[in-house]
Amino acid sequence: MINLVNIHRTFDGEKALDGLTLFVPRGTLLGIIGPGGCGKSTLCKVACGLIRPDMGAVVVDGVDLVRADRKKLLAVQRNCGVQFQNDALFEHMTVLANVEYPLRRLTDLGRGEVRARAMERVAMVGLSGFEDRYPNSLSGGQRRRVALARACVTDPLILICDDPTAGLDPVTSRRILDMIAGIRYQTGNTVIVVSSDVPGMLSVCERAALMWSGRIIEEGVPADFMKSERDEVKRFLDDARLPFGGDR
Amino acid sequence: MSLTRPIRRVGRVFIDASYEIGGAARLLARIFRRLVPPDLDIPELRRCLLRMGYRSLSIMIATAFVVGIILVIQAFVFVDRYGLRSQLGWGAGFTTIRELGPVLLALMFSGRVGAYTAAELGTMEVTDQVDGLRCLAIDPISYLVVPRFVAMVISLVALTIIGNTVALLSASVMGDIMMDVDQHTFWSNLFAMLTPWDYATSIIKAALFGAIIAVTSCHYGLTTTGGAPGVGRSVNNAVVSSAVAIFVVDYLSTFVMG
Repeated sequence: MINLVNIHRTFDGEKALDGLTLFVPRGTLLGIIGPGGCGKSTLCKVACGLIRPDMGAVVVDGVDLVRADRKKLLAVQRNCGVQFQNDALFEHMTVLANVEYPLRRLTDLGRGEVRARAMERVAMVGLSGFEDRYPNSLSGGQRRRVALARACVTDPLILICDDPTAGLDPVTSRRILDMIAGIRYQTGNTVIVVSSDVPGMLSVCERAALMWSGRIIEEGVPADFMKSERDEVKRFLDDARLPFGGDR
Repeated sequence: MSLTRPIRRVGRVFIDASYEIGGAARLLARIFRRLVPPDLDIPELRRCLLRMGYRSLSIMIATAFVVGIILVIQAFVFVDRYGLRSQLGWGAGFTTIRELGPVLLALMFSGRVGAYTAAELGTMEVTDQVDGLRCLAIDPISYLVVPRFVAMVISLVALTIIGNTVALLSASVMGDIMMDVDQHTFWSNLFAMLTPWDYATSIIKAALFGAIIAVTSCHYGLTTTGGAPGVGRSVNNAVVSSAVAIFVVDYLSTFVMG
């Protein structure tokens, strides 16, 4: 369960989050959409304790990350898998080593088990045969898939994916969103996905939230979301070329 | 408005400099907190020592070799005019060990290793790799900064000792060729006139310069923002700030250590 209450965060005088409030029940697949620069990536980092808000409370599984000491914060972060917007793959490690790394650092599994589990995740994202390649020899879509495999390899209680479809073609984009949805249904864990692929996102997520100027202005199940009467929602969905007010 | 503009600009420079110095000092405090008791990644330290120390050896030896030759060429005029050929060993040794060796090798080290470190950490920062480490419950200071700090201090001390030796060897050979100062005269004069404190000064300076380069490059690397151009800015700032800090600390340490 993630509860963000009245979060404010400013960078160099620019407001990234401006009174954001969001509740994510355990086991939900929440999709966050919104125009570029509205604070989606900042929200992802605040939710897993990587960025401290200037004001407000971030409660993850009963722990307030703003007031928690380092030990408690690390305990929460151990249960968070994050796929970053820039993939954040370790360039000096092979694909397999990247996926193995969280298992080696965060679990007590033996070497063989670590290898087997990492291979299984690499296969799950459709990259069998790429285990010994280095990230700089992969395409954008392949890098995203490696990042996804690494983020979910420990079966974290909370999986946060920051724009996993950015810059990808529609087919690859949809494939990645389907993989994320598959992970959610297999594990039953909480998943938060930020994506600029609005149609794809609304088709896979259980709940959707629209961010606008640093706050959530609309939240609900995708079907209701599409029928919203708010101007910003209509305008955003219109810009995303979605038929608001109708069925998908 | 036009009158206040220069004052504002000076004020801005002062504030920016204070911000950077404060940030670097804070990073240094965090490094020391993790050094006692030691909390650092040993495999990463080994990799850093190899990359920063061993792989810098050839360029440092080449630099030191040229420094020794230049030293003798510059000294030639005065040594010849005042008939001080027997004092060449002392002159070359004193200048190299106490001043030129540590400072020039540190500047070279800063350009090679400091710039690389700022670029490496800066790239990791802007591509979220540092946040990726935090998410894996890995402290970036223990994992990235402390091994680089320790490796740079050890590497620069070792490279300075080797560099000083190479510079003196090339100076002695050049002295023999240019001024007919034989090897025995050169080395016996050098060992007779230099004290253990002179050698210690060189090592202390090298350690200080290594620490400065490490803190400056790690600080600028980890505070990089703005994508690829930001990485370029960080590298530039790291090299310039390291050079300025090396000269300031050299002045202060020379003053304090006599």
